[in-house]
Amino acid sequence: MSTVETPTPARNAPAPPPGPAARAGGWVSTALPFVGAVVAAFLVGGLIILLLGYDPVRAFDAVLTTSFSSRFGIVETLHKTVPILLCAYAFAIPLATGKFNIGAEGQLLVGATGGVALGILWSDLPMVVLLPCVLVAGALAGTLWSGIAAFLMIRFRVNEILSTVLLNFVSFQLIDYVASHVWPDRGAGHPATVVVGDGARLPGLGERPAMHTGVLIAVVLAVVVAFWMNRTASGFELRAVGANPRAAMVHGVRTSRMAGAGMLVGGAVAGLAGAIEVAGVHGRMLEGMQSNFLILGIIVGLMARGSMVALPFIAFGIAVLEVGASAMQRTAQVPVEIVLIIEALILLFLLLTDVVRHRLRRAAQ
Amino acid sequence: MTGVVKRFGSVTALDHVDFEVARNEVHGLLGGNGAGKTTLMNVLYGLYRPDSGQIRIDGKEVQISAPRDAIEAGVGMVHQTFLQVDSYTVTENIVLGTDLGSPVRLDLSDARKRIVGLSEHFGLKVDPDAVVEDLPVGVRQRVEILKALYRGCSLLILDEPTTNLTPQEVDDLFRSMRVMVDEGMSVILITHKIRETLAVCDRMTIMREGRHVATVTRAETDAEDLAETMVGRQVDIDPAEDEDVAATAAVAMGAVEATEVADETAPPQVVEYETGVEVRDLTVANDHGVRVVKDFTLEIGKGEIVGIAGVAGNGQVELAEAIAGVRPIVSGSVRLGDLELTGRPTVEWLEHGVAYVPEDRNRDGILPTASITENLVLGSQRNPRVRRGRLIDWKAARERAVEAIRQFSIKANGPATPCGDLSGGNIQRVILARAFAHQPRLLILHNPTRGLDIASTRFVYEQVRSVTEKGGAVLLISEDLDEVISLSDRVLALYAGSLNGSWPRGAVDPYEVGRRMTGLQDAS
Repeated sequence: MSTVETPTPARNAPAPPPGPAARAGGWVSTALPFVGAVVAAFLVGGLIILLLGYDPVRAFDAVLTTSFSSRFGIVETLHKTVPILLCAYAFAIPLATGKFNIGAEGQLLVGATGGVALGILWSDLPMVVLLPCVLVAGALAGTLWSGIAAFLMIRFRVNEILSTVLLNFVSFQLIDYVASHVWPDRGAGHPATVVVGDGARLPGLGERPAMHTGVLIAVVLAVVVAFWMNRTASGFELRAVGANPRAAMVHGVRTSRMAGAGMLVGGAVAGLAGAIEVAGVHGRMLEGMQSNFLILGIIVGLMARGSMVALPFIAFGIAVLEVGASAMQRTAQVPVEIVLIIEALILLFLLLTDVVRHRLRRAAQ
Repeated sequence: MTGVVKRFGSVTALDHVDFEVARNEVHGLLGGNGAGKTTLMNVLYGLYRPDSGQIRIDGKEVQISAPRDAIEAGVGMVHQTFLQVDSYTVTENIVLGTDLGSPVRLDLSDARKRIVGLSEHFGLKVDPDAVVEDLPVGVRQRVEILKALYRGCSLLILDEPTTNLTPQEVDDLFRSMRVMVDEGMSVILITHKIRETLAVCDRMTIMREGRHVATVTRAETDAEDLAETMVGRQVDIDPAEDEDVAATAAVAMGAVEATEVADETAPPQVVEYETGVEVRDLTVANDHGVRVVKDFTLEIGKGEIVGIAGVAGNGQVELAEAIAGVRPIVSGSVRLGDLELTGRPTVEWLEHGVAYVPEDRNRDGILPTASITENLVLGSQRNPRVRRGRLIDWKAARERAVEAIRQFSIKANGPATPCGDLSGGNIQRVILARAFAHQPRLLILHNPTRGLDIASTRFVYEQVRSVTEKGGAVLLISEDLDEVISLSDRVLALYAGSLNGSWPRGAVDPYEVGRRMTGLQDAS
């Protein structure tokens, strides 16, 4: 018999740890830790650059301004934002139900495979037919991939962290096979498929370098996800399962179904990211196209701390740093990896503010 | 142990408790839920540090600040939930945390021999090479006892050890306990089951509300005496508290129009109700698969309050969850009017007007990180009531939350305050506000006023009354006998998962209820 109880109606509420999505304090108290964490991370990062013998001012100048100093920079940043954002959703949506999807890169690659398959097989079809097919195929393939993990999780209680991570490795073999044996482009000098038909390419916007319309798809998706998670019953149930699965169950939420649904949606979004990368950026599938989107998606997903509204802005911020990183290497000779260190530091400092806030609140009582 | 005091915040869990155990004795520690039995033993075992008080073992004062100190002093404790490594064997589990000699070599053959020896000696049958996760609860408990014995304990504390055991296993356990005390050990048995204490204990100490009430030897007491002392309707209630109880009861009675409940000589009042809820031959299993509710049959009329009195651990949680549609029903049925609810998903029970106020508020009642508004919506998120079109209408929900905060006097900064930041009493108010929000047809209340002050208790009783006035059926499950008696139209006693007596309003003899709910007397 469980006897956890708080026996008195004490005037002072005991302070439990603040929730990941404590929406209590309004904009300022939400933004303040972010700003603080970013500043602190740059200070520490600057120190590291200094110790390595480089010039932190020039380095940060490159990191922060490249994205905004030219049209090329802006387009590049937006293009980078899309897969980072979608991989962040792939992590954050299952996380809302308390499940960890560490398989965004596998789902992205399988989604890319699905998209590229149709783009090559049906390359003669007109864009109005082919492009939607490619994107939907990508999303479905991603769903299928995360669906394996979801099925194992619900039916056999296989830990979803293990299954999603391991499926990533399977997907590497899969795209290697597709790119070297099914539709190989022998002239590419690197495992890659032949290019997809013109009808499978996302049209560009504006003069060269054109921004592909996948960015618009991502914007629409961001609105839909925020709306879904915050306003609909299923979004609410999804969050309820993450907040307290027992209480959700007692109140009529089918918890394992919701957890499974979260995984499927996460896979779909990552798969869509793969298809957009094919249709918008590469025009084909190539090995290594998953880049470091998995880890960036996790960082963004964790930084958003449950807020689907904040998530797109954070993804954009991380994309700025990523684009700036290569410019930094060119102009200040600082290795690109420094930026990943800074990103990780932002996350660490952000999590630290949770602890600080908790202490402050307890001290205040 | 002398003068032990332990406070949690403003709550005094142990109030100058004196307790002693002799060698060669099985000592029963008896009391209802929240009496402080387990807390006292956790102090002795070093899990809690007392705010004041002394502990002496064999006449020497000892400082016990962690379980390690307790183990060194020869104290062993078996908790209700076992701390075992599922994938390890019995032997590995037992030696875990003891000195294994070499940090590099792992040779368990000597340990295994000792364990086999202990197990044979004390009659604790267990296969030393079995993997723990394959074992039934009864055997896992033996492993836990062997763990304590292996560490050389001379005083063994058992916390509600019989909860998940079969009668045969209980007999075996008691035999083993006798062997232990015959060899000079002492055993403390924490329990709320009077029969058990009488069957095995040499002496017993009764606790209530954090205080030591009495210590008696088996020869000088009997079951009835123990029941009365434990249920606490005897002289030694302190006057202030007595007033509280009386006030609470009076409030409930005041809310009942024109019924002379207070007068126990009044003729039993029998009211004919239209059947609202029908529970037939209900059998329910607990989380371990043990059937803790057996062939339970109950009808609740429209507008009737049926109160179930019982000592915690007699199947209340499982019963409440089954009738609320949360826990799967092994056999039997639950009908709401003409509607068969058995086998339907929980959400349909909710839609048809079943509201449940669970006992474990934090675990079953709230989403700690979600706001009060969101917590009030929980359970009806798919109901047209809270939606506009296909979306949840948060604006209206927020307005309702503001209203609920006012009406239920929830102490919070506003509707956006996360529920996890509220105190226990305020969390309960949120849960009650949710249950009362939509006129329930069946309201299940499990210890609804525990931790609430008089005013809130009164408010809850009024709300319950308004539910019945509109024809709702109410099932009140409570360990507070006064509450059950004063609020219910019909009182039932629950013992070991079955009904053991029923009394209409006005014909309730608290002593008899006490005897029935502790299983001392069977329904005739």
